[in-house]
Amino acid sequence: MTFAKTLPSYLLLLFCVALSIFPFLYMLSLSLQSDADVFSGIPILIPETWQFTNYIDIWQKAPFARFTLNSFIIAGGITFLHLIFDPLIGYVFAKMEFAGKRVMFVAVLSTLMIPFFIRMIPLYVLTARMGWLNTYQGLILPFAMSAYGIFLMRQFIRPIPDELLDAARMDGCSELGLYWRIVLPQVRPALATLALLTFVFQWNEFLWPLVAVNTTEMRPITTGLTLFNQEFFTQWNLTATGGIILFIPSLLLFLFTQRYFVRSVMLAGMK
Amino acid sequence: MFISGSTDTADTDIRVGAMPTRRAARFSRRTRQTLLAYLLLSPAILYFSVYFFYPIGLEFWASLYSGQPLIGESRFAGLDNYVAALGDARVRQSLFVTLAFAIGVTAASIAIGLGLAVVLNRPIPGRTLIRAIIFFPYITSFVIVALMWQAILDPYTGILNSFLAELGLPTQNWLGDTSTALPTLIAITVWKDVGYAMLIYLSALQSIPSDFYDAASIDGATPTQQFRYLTWPLLTPTTLFIAVVSTISQLQELAPAYLITKGGPADATRFFSLHVFEAAFFELNIGYASALSFLMFLLILAITFVQFRLLNRETTY
Repeated sequence: MTFAKTLPSYLLLLFCVALSIFPFLYMLSLSLQSDADVFSGIPILIPETWQFTNYIDIWQKAPFARFTLNSFIIAGGITFLHLIFDPLIGYVFAKMEFAGKRVMFVAVLSTLMIPFFIRMIPLYVLTARMGWLNTYQGLILPFAMSAYGIFLMRQFIRPIPDELLDAARMDGCSELGLYWRIVLPQVRPALATLALLTFVFQWNEFLWPLVAVNTTEMRPITTGLTLFNQEFFTQWNLTATGGIILFIPSLLLFLFTQRYFVRSVMLAGMK
Repeated sequence: MFISGSTDTADTDIRVGAMPTRRAARFSRRTRQTLLAYLLLSPAILYFSVYFFYPIGLEFWASLYSGQPLIGESRFAGLDNYVAALGDARVRQSLFVTLAFAIGVTAASIAIGLGLAVVLNRPIPGRTLIRAIIFFPYITSFVIVALMWQAILDPYTGILNSFLAELGLPTQNWLGDTSTALPTLIAITVWKDVGYAMLIYLSALQSIPSDFYDAASIDGATPTQQFRYLTWPLLTPTTLFIAVVSTISQLQELAPAYLITKGGPADATRFFSLHVFEAAFFELNIGYASALSFLMFLLILAITFVQFRLLNRETTY
């Protein structure tokens, strides 16, 4: 392949890269602009003076610290439950023999066909009846495990040789001991991937908090930002500042674990 | 340890008298495992029953009532909600908008994602970084995506229009005009999601043996012919997979309409999901909203069924 031939497609690729990055840079630029810059009505790419005070003002104009804390509690709680249950259930389906296994497994997988949006109305009613609107448990429990995570863990646990497990049984290791001492250490990289994907997607979740929270102080950062955009400001600079704060944890996680992300989508995407 | 254990069993096997007790021991071990398995599964059984199966049943039940079943006054109405939904012009309009959105996003993601994957499958400099950058918007919250693009597309203070004006090109009220609002939402969603299709295609491309291309080259096939007669047919299962997964998830997408356009202008971007959301949570018309939601469930089941049929005929290589 000659250089002249690959050049056009390479340039097109660089254009796509620029297009992917530009909105983020523009948001960063907006977050550093003063009110005067924003009200001038003339779009500014690089502000003359960087208004870092936006990053201080925002914490005073809205309960932004509380929103951030809520996001960490909710996304963190959900990730923790996934790490407890997904590999355990995955192990039961991968390595244990019991009557009704096939039926149970199909039942779990069938939940993939019942997406969240379809269940939203009855879930709202159930959560309200339990008195769990505006509570952490009401926001966390509906996402405690997933058929996807269970399936993923089962796929990773299955290749562990049965001989290894039998040997440990002979040594008097209990079933739970097997799981804890042999299976879990073997699938640690897969657990990291599961934790990462779960955390990022829950950090971004906005539909359920929108429905199940109606007090300001229980909002996570996603709905907090959406609503305070309407309630607190009408200025792009402060909204953009909130956007940057919401965006930083995903960016940091992605920068350090980009390979895991790419690999897990490539692995799990095609089953 | 393992070896000595297995010789023990081999020894006992020979002694005929030991057989019944061994079988009894094995049976009780199996029973014990079944009990333990169900004990370990019990949180999952509880979770999926409470948060998946029961709500779907509850929703169907509520869809048969008018008024506010589950939360207030209601009256049994049979299939009236379904009849009313299918007869409502606004519902039909929102279904049309949703289908156009889902198909538009899916088709564009497949075309652009495949193009990017084919280019990135070559050993070009910096491809890991390029791949990561293009994938990144996929894991960004739609809340941020909405903010960024609203700021860029603002008709008065947005950077896009001022850029177009500088070039002497006509400016547009991208999100405020009935003819451009839906295509703009499609473009924003493709911008966010195309990295997913790209990654799936990349992993599929990497699993095609390079011998195939060597053989094609020897036979004198041009790169275009190689794509047309080799790559594209081999990628059929991947394309089907992306098409179905993307269509199903875009059909229920609420964020673009809710966060960016609120369904406007003049219902041009009124998604079915937004219609359901407003009927349920603004108008508290729970019975009707449940019926709409259940109709969407049936549509998704139908698409999933078609997926199974098509993927079962998948080509292997």
